[in-house]
Formats: sequence, structure tokens, C-alpha cells
Amino acid sequence: MEHLLEAKALSKYYTTPNGPLHAVEQVSFTVDEKTTLGVVGESGCGKSTLGRVLVGLLDATGGDFFFEGENVTHPDKKKRKELRRKMQIIFQDPYSSLDPRMCVSDLIAEPLRALKLARGAALEKQVQELMDTVGLARRFAYSYPHELDGGRRQRIGIARALSVNPRFIVCDEPVSALDVSIQAQVLNLLKELQIEKGLTYVFITHNLSVVKHISHDILVMYCGCMVEKCPSKELFAHPLHPYTKGLLAAIPIPSIHVKKPDVVLSGEVTSPVNPKPGCRFAARCPHASDICRQEMPQQEELAPGHFVACHHAKEINSL
Amino acid sequence: MSLLDIQDLSIHFMTENGEVKAVNGISLHVDEGRTLGLVGETGAGKTTTALGILRLVPEPGKILSGSITYKGEDILTMPEKDVQDLRGNEISMIFQDPMTALNPVMTVGDQIAEVINRHQHCSGVECQQRMMEILDKVGISGDRAKDYPHQFSGGMKQRIVIAIALACNPKLLLADEPTTALDVTIQAQVLRMVNDLKKELGTAMFLITHDLGIVAESCDDVAIMYAGNIIEYGSVEAVFDHTAHPYTVGLFGSLPRLDVDVEFLSPIPGLMPDPINLPSGCPFHPRCKLATRECMETMPETRELAPGHLVRCHHAQEEDNPNAILGDPGYTPPPMMGAALKDEEAGQ
Repeated sequence: MEHLLEAKALSKYYTTPNGPLHAVEQVSFTVDEKTTLGVVGESGCGKSTLGRVLVGLLDATGGDFFFEGENVTHPDKKKRKELRRKMQIIFQDPYSSLDPRMCVSDLIAEPLRALKLARGAALEKQVQELMDTVGLARRFAYSYPHELDGGRRQRIGIARALSVNPRFIVCDEPVSALDVSIQAQVLNLLKELQIEKGLTYVFITHNLSVVKHISHDILVMYCGCMVEKCPSKELFAHPLHPYTKGLLAAIPIPSIHVKKPDVVLSGEVTSPVNPKPGCRFAARCPHASDICRQEMPQQEELAPGHFVACHHAKEINSL
Repeated sequence: MSLLDIQDLSIHFMTENGEVKAVNGISLHVDEGRTLGLVGETGAGKTTTALGILRLVPEPGKILSGSITYKGEDILTMPEKDVQDLRGNEISMIFQDPMTALNPVMTVGDQIAEVINRHQHCSGVECQQRMMEILDKVGISGDRAKDYPHQFSGGMKQRIVIAIALACNPKLLLADEPTTALDVTIQAQVLRMVNDLKKELGTAMFLITHDLGIVAESCDDVAIMYAGNIIEYGSVEAVFDHTAHPYTVGLFGSLPRLDVDVEFLSPIPGLMPDPINLPSGCPFHPRCKLATRECMETMPETRELAPGHLVRCHHAQEEDNPNAILGDPGYTPPPMMGAALKDEEAGQ
């Protein structure tokens, strides 16, 4: 089967007064249709930048990105407009991503109007159907975002993304601003929509429990680089990269029967501005050696479908 | 006797839109050297409770009734001067957001020394010495004392906030979501440090959080708060393994878990009620599976299901929590092989 999405050595640098900020560095992956790729990492690891590059809100600095087998890294205006109908994004913060002066039905109708996909009575009908799909009561059609709670606002964001019937949606931390009971409602909704409409997601989050729940494959990022990518189950059962292991050990588990290893990952993330050569994780890694400080590790497939970028992954996992 | 004993505390905010019933008659106690976790979602009244303990409830909030007894004295009836002597000295607070809790135009060393100077009546040199000691305890090197908050990362700022809170060896530490603003690996560092220091200094802690995982790791007792009421209260063992209240059961069902696989989560339907306009009877009844007419009409009294395990529900029974037991009780995160890592400043 052909992959719906393929990124090849995708990079995005920002210019800062202190030099280039390497937000995303040579990230490669594929996503199959109707599956979810979870992208996890801590703040500043470049996961949101990656999501924005994928939907064309930011221009890639290097590398290639293929969608439906076509290179869409730098599309022309016409192509870009066409792509807007096929790929959408749900933003993190339902408080700041909605225009406060538009009512719910206008917010949901906006993408349809902008792309001239529907008008008049047909538009109204579609908006109502979308509200039903995401579980927003029709009585909210003329409410403004400030009258609604976070969970309902996020449902508006989801309805906006769904309105143009896309094949692919980037979900950028869609539940991190929500309380757990509401978070669970929204996660279930996203899962149901995927099954019903055959959607493909790239799901960006810092919450590993959420990503495990929703993803088929998981890509772990650290300081702009991809450190590990493999099927979701495999990542939690056999993490190979020292950073992934540290990340997993750091998550508090809501059960008193779980015995956690008594180790904590030390240090903090290094700056992605003018990064030193070598592995970005070397400063915090218990296994770091000279080669780690000199050469950036390339990703290797150590088990079927399990990619790791670490010089010492083989020996520390005795593979 | 408990170090801190809260009885029947009610705090309401008199706003233009009506009376916001933030805290409605809660009773809690924190024993010496133990950690009580207070869990609830946004707007449950957790932070208001903590501010009430320090008598810092902002206008237009009013403490309507109840007593807060600290070492046998009621904080609510004390003269203001005595309360000032308690704050930061006997009882101190770690605020949620380290980015806004620190003064941006004062060096971090001065901010720590300020508390010591106010409470310990010591000379300048002693004060500086004590400040250096406490910086060292939270894992920040002494030569950074002259730096300003913006020169530190989020995790380091939170360490400084903790240093300020611990500067006078308080007996009781109120921690309001101390790690919510931090990344998980930094959260693990900070939590471990707080737990170590707590043991070392024998401090009792009142930990506010929305993360049941943190409660499992750090607390001895836990109180679950919903719409200004404590709806379940007991030891961590009782509440996690024999969850009784339907809201607590719903919270566990809402959590995606590393140690359990489910296809769909089982969330609580509906939304938190508006604290201006709380439902009649039990505030949870519109979202509750067990609700009957009785629940709509009368607020349940607190019942003791087992010694020390309190629940405020007409129908709740002590049951084995499928979500705590389901899955793999022996789940262990994959071990980190190789060197034993220590919590230290490496990545500076």
C-alpha cells in the first residue's frame, strides 16, 4: 500500500538574532491511510513546528514532503488551495484559536465559505450536520466562543477542520487545555471520527498516556530531532532510545501497585539555537561517549518498523 | 492531634453575577509529616481552599463559616499580625506558575533572603549563609544567587519558588499544582526533590493536583473535590483500590493509561456545574449514573464506609476499582539500563 504521507529529511530553521534555531532537523517518516502517527516530545522539541510544516502553515527549510504520492513541499498557490481541502489542523488552545466576534455557526461555516464549497441553505444544512457530528447541541449555533467551555470550544475547532471533508488532520495538542473528564470525551470523539470517516491523523502531544491511547505509530522527538519511531505497542514494551526510556520512567501512573524504577533523567533540554554537532541528547544521556558528542546519529531500523537514532542503541539494548 | 484541621469551611465570592459558591462546607485534616492530596478539576475549589488556609482569599471572596485550626489555634480568628508570622514561616505555599510567582526585578538570592530576614531575625551574614544552604538543597549552585528569574529555565524557577517556601523550615507546605507548568522529565526531578526534602525536614504537605498519577506517587491521603465539596476522602490505598464515589470512578475511567489498554475511554458525561448556579441536592447528580430522586432533593451526608474512608453519596458502596486493578498490577515501566542517574544539574 502506498503511504498517504511521507516526509524525507524534513527540516525547518528559524532565524534568530543569535543564529539559526534548528526547530526541526532532518525528520523522516511515513503515515499510512486511516492510521494515527503520534508525535511526542517536551516543550520546544519542534513538534508543533513539524505539524505546521506538514499542513503548509510554515515553509520547510529543507527536505521533501509527499502527500498522496505527490511532492507538496513548496506548492504553488493553486495547489495550496487544493491541499487545504485535503489537510486541516486542529489547534491546541480553543481559547485563542477562535475569532471571539464570530458565532459558532459562522465559525464552522467559514472554511466552507472560504473555499466556496457551499452556500445558502446547503451551507446551513452542512453546518448543522457538522454540529451533530461533533456533538454540539444546535441551540449553541448563535452563541459566541466566550459563552462556551473549553470542551465545547474544542469541538468547534474539530468541526471547522472536518467541514471541508479532509483526508488528513494534524491535531496539535487538541486536549491539553482540557480537564480529564472532558479530555476523554474529545479523545473518544476523535477516535470515532477516524473510524467513521477514514481519517488520517498526525497527533501532536506531550502526554504519553494520551498518545498511547490514540496512536498506531509513535514518533519521539527531542530538540528538533527524531530519536525513535515505531508502532505504539512496541514503544511502550521495548523502548530502545535512552531518552524514550527516561520519558517513560518519568510519567506518574495512577495506581499504587506500580513499582517505578528509582531513576530520574537529569539535566534539561539544550538550546536548539546554533546546536553543537553530535547527538542533541548527549548532555543528558547516561551512555554518552565521544562519538555522541561529535556525530549526529542516523536513524537505523533495529527491529521491523522500529527506527532509532542512537549510536549505542544496539549495545545498551544488547541487540 | 492533627497539625491542620479544617472544619466545615465555606468560601463564597460575591460577584456582580451572583454568589460563586467555591467551597461549600469541607472538612479536612493534615497530620504531621504526612502528605494530603487534594484532587479535582478546574473550578472545583482547590486553590481557594489553599488560599483560605493562609487567609489570602482575594476580594470579593469571603470565608463564610468554618474553622481552620493550626496547632490548636484558629487561623480565622487570629489577629492579622499573627497570621503574617505564620505565612512563609510555619505554613508556606508553592504557587502553580513559577513564571509569575517570582519578582522579575529582584535577584533570586534576595528573594530567598527576604523570607529568612522577615521571620528569623538574623544578621545579614547568617541570612546569606542560610540562603546559600537552601539554594544548595534545591540543586542550584550558589554562584547563581545574583541572577534574575528570567535567566533560569522553568524547572529551575520552580526550584527557586520551592527554596523560598522551604527557607524557614515550615511545618506545613501548601503546594498548588507545583509541577503543572513543567515538562514530565523536569516534573519527575522536582517531585522527587520535594519528596526528599519533605522527608528530610519532616514537613507535612497539602498537595493540590489534578493528576492522579502524582497522588499515587507522592501522597499518603487523598481528598477528591467536586463543585466545592469533598466527595471522597481516605488513604490513597482506600480511594485508589476501593473507589466508592461515582465521580472518582469516572475520573479513573477518563484517564488514558500507560499500564492499561482500552479501545475507548469511559468519560463522565456532561460538564462541571456552574458554581453560581449549583444543582439542587448532590451537585454531581446531573452527571451521575446512580442518581435517583433522593439525589436531586437532598445533599448526602458524609458516610464512613470503612475506618477512615469517607464518601459523600447516597448510593456509593466500597468496591474494588476495576481501573486500578484491571490491566497489569505488576506493570513496571521499562527499566533504564546502565548508569544510575542522579537528580543533578547536568544540562546547564
